[in-house]
Amino acid sequence: MSNNLTTIMESSRLAGRSYVDAMIRSELTDAVGADYVSSNAADQLGHSIDYYWIPEMWHDRGRENPKAQYIVHPGSAEEVAKVLRIANNYRIPVTPWGGGSGSQGGALPMYGGIILDTKRMNKVINIDTEALTVTVETGMNAQHMEWAVEKKGFSTMHFPASIACATIGGFLAHRGTGVLSTKYGKIEDMVMSIEVVTPEGEIINTLPVPRHASGPDLTQLYLGSEGTLGVITKVTLKIHPIPQCRKFHAFLFKDMHQAMTAGANIMRSRLRPCVIRLYDEPETARLIKRVLGLDKQGAYLVFGFDGFESVVNLEMAEAIRICQRENPEDLGEEMGQAWWDHRYKFFYPPYMFHMPQAFGTLDTVATFANIEKVYWAMKNVVNQNFPEAAFIGHYSHWYEWGCMLYARFIVENPPRDPEEATAYYNRIWDMAIRAAIANGGVINEHHGVGLKLGRLMKDLYGPAFKVLADIKKVMDPNNIMNPGKMGFRGV
Amino acid sequence: MYSEKFTETIHACRFCFMCRHLSPVGNVTYRESDTPRGRALMLDKVLQQPQLLENPDFQSTIYDAELSAACRTHCVSHFDEAGLLLAARRDIVESEKVPASIRQVADSIKALPLTVKGEAKAELIYYVDRYTERHQPEIAVAMEKILKSAGIRFQMISGADTGKALSVLGYWNDAKEAATNFARMARSGEQKLVITSCPASYDSLKNDFPKYGIDLGKELEVLHTSEFLQRLVRTSQLPLGPLAIQSVFPLASDFLKNYNAGFKAHEELATLAGVTLLPFGFNREESYTAGEGGVVMDELNPRLVSKLVQHVFEQIDNPEQDTLLVLSPYTKYVLTKFAPKKIQLTTVEELIAARIKE
Repeated sequence: MSNNLTTIMESSRLAGRSYVDAMIRSELTDAVGADYVSSNAADQLGHSIDYYWIPEMWHDRGRENPKAQYIVHPGSAEEVAKVLRIANNYRIPVTPWGGGSGSQGGALPMYGGIILDTKRMNKVINIDTEALTVTVETGMNAQHMEWAVEKKGFSTMHFPASIACATIGGFLAHRGTGVLSTKYGKIEDMVMSIEVVTPEGEIINTLPVPRHASGPDLTQLYLGSEGTLGVITKVTLKIHPIPQCRKFHAFLFKDMHQAMTAGANIMRSRLRPCVIRLYDEPETARLIKRVLGLDKQGAYLVFGFDGFESVVNLEMAEAIRICQRENPEDLGEEMGQAWWDHRYKFFYPPYMFHMPQAFGTLDTVATFANIEKVYWAMKNVVNQNFPEAAFIGHYSHWYEWGCMLYARFIVENPPRDPEEATAYYNRIWDMAIRAAIANGGVINEHHGVGLKLGRLMKDLYGPAFKVLADIKKVMDPNNIMNPGKMGFRGV
Repeated sequence: MYSEKFTETIHACRFCFMCRHLSPVGNVTYRESDTPRGRALMLDKVLQQPQLLENPDFQSTIYDAELSAACRTHCVSHFDEAGLLLAARRDIVESEKVPASIRQVADSIKALPLTVKGEAKAELIYYVDRYTERHQPEIAVAMEKILKSAGIRFQMISGADTGKALSVLGYWNDAKEAATNFARMARSGEQKLVITSCPASYDSLKNDFPKYGIDLGKELEVLHTSEFLQRLVRTSQLPLGPLAIQSVFPLASDFLKNYNAGFKAHEELATLAGVTLLPFGFNREESYTAGEGGVVMDELNPRLVSKLVQHVFEQIDNPEQDTLLVLSPYTKYVLTKFAPKKIQLTTVEELIAARIKE
């Protein structure tokens, strides 16, 4: 935004609605309709806080979070294009917003401007029962999409904890994942094709199939771009038949290392579990006890298989055999099924962490050779520098080559002063994430980068970050799309 | 402030997104502030800055809430955001900052007199709510036919609110007065039973009256008509003929499902009557009542109700063929009024009445 316009908009904000505000609002209204442009105080508040701890804490301590001047709800790619053209003309920052449940601050309107809320684009366009795909508008709530697909006898197999709150576009924007990712993949593995509105308002489509030798993969460029390169407005995703059965089994291992050996061996055997989840000893003692009632020392590991029952039984028997090599306590099917039945309960109040606690999810991913090193490096740096912080972790998404660590820190009484609390919180992140990077981890596995981790992108990518920054410059010359996120230039 | 009593709910819900998919208003306005999280966040801000309760944007958001309580049913901890919003409305009313449009609706409800007709020595009272009386008289006609056919002497009370509409608007003291008047009228005869087709009134009689200190239950049993009809059919007190409709798609009532957990009388009645219930929409959690929890929502914000109706309409697989079993006279009225095309609607009263041998 030019300094001049910033000044005009700032004075208009201070003086109430000036004609500049009214003019821009008129253009936005012309683009999307009067019902779908708001500067309502309740809406501005609702769009000023996502699931990131900093704005939550800021609000809790009575501070005002930055707010968008306009919240728009376009109903189609064409309307998105109109909004982006207006924003380009006036150099107004645009922050895309789906469900608003991101934990990285990616949807926060940190420079004011426009919140482009995608939820009105919520239609199922087609369910292809031959190719087994669903095409939807990306503002659709993920649970609604799943219900729509299930009604036709299929499933997306995308079951994240945020299924009820996030839009499908949100998952695409930050490369989200679901609880069954070990078999069915992360969102980037599920995508066939996308429609995108570019920052300058052009509507483009990527190739209709995800496997080809027709140049670089444009689809994958947009996935994880967090609204900095455009707005994804439509997606075609793979869907699956609903499996004949899904079975679980749980074990309690003496320690996390033994459990990791068992889990890695299951993956190296090339069995195809739909889920493996391993909780370290502190999280087993803290959360598994609270939610599932298991009051024992050790590391809880659960896995599951789905598909034809005869195949599931065979795979299950082999996986059990692999685990038994480490001499765990067999908790049986019941404690495995209980975990599945309560898998979302961890995220509801009062089970989820809450104010005044400071908490963060340090999710990362590494190879089997590195993942325990990453765990210990992060844990040690947190314990040594922040002895008041608890550090817990589980491994929830497994690959043939490694797995994802969902580590969390919890501080019961962080500083009361918001600025001090922010600085303290950021120090934990900086040290823990740098420890992960130093040991072969990355800054994030499925929550994205957003505002929270942007400053660490250069640490992660090194000189390669310039390539990403240059792509952003070329694709969004006026820097209107979610500026200041992912480590890209701010306003 | 009454909403302060819900501080725990505010703190639980203000940053929680886990039920937002079940927010009927949020799903049609797409506004963050129309979700349980958005509302809790707003009321948390009001706790911090009480003067914000006068903010017109905050007030309209508070009164646009449909109060389906689907979020409370869904939540593993059942945090009561519907209760929080009712408390906030009461705060607005009692601080005398209530918007004129809300006051007008409340005044019109307060002005309605209770009327009684029928036998003084009746066995039961059939309370006819405003939506049945004004807009859907066929429901009462069907119920009268059933009662007469079963040889039951009954009295009909209609007109004034049992207090439900007033309490939902935040007029708690007026609601208590209306409830007291209703109770006085209901107790004046020898009746042992009060039935109503209106789930909101049923909830009022069952759950609100005790909060006002009116223990109607000791003297009068309260039943929704589906419960009453279930008894009649089970005990073969009705001469039933062949089925007129073989299958229906039930639209669950917010008040029966989310305010009276475990209510299944309509399902059991359908089974007894041989009617097949087919699943409506995508799931059993969402509210498809088009604002029944708001009781008089069509009077507060007809444009919003029109959007809620459009959403329900879009869930109908075959609008020209499917028959929806509606459990609330309000919902029947707004679906009739606002649907883009005619929908086949019936109620438990009409389903059973249609089977009575003349």
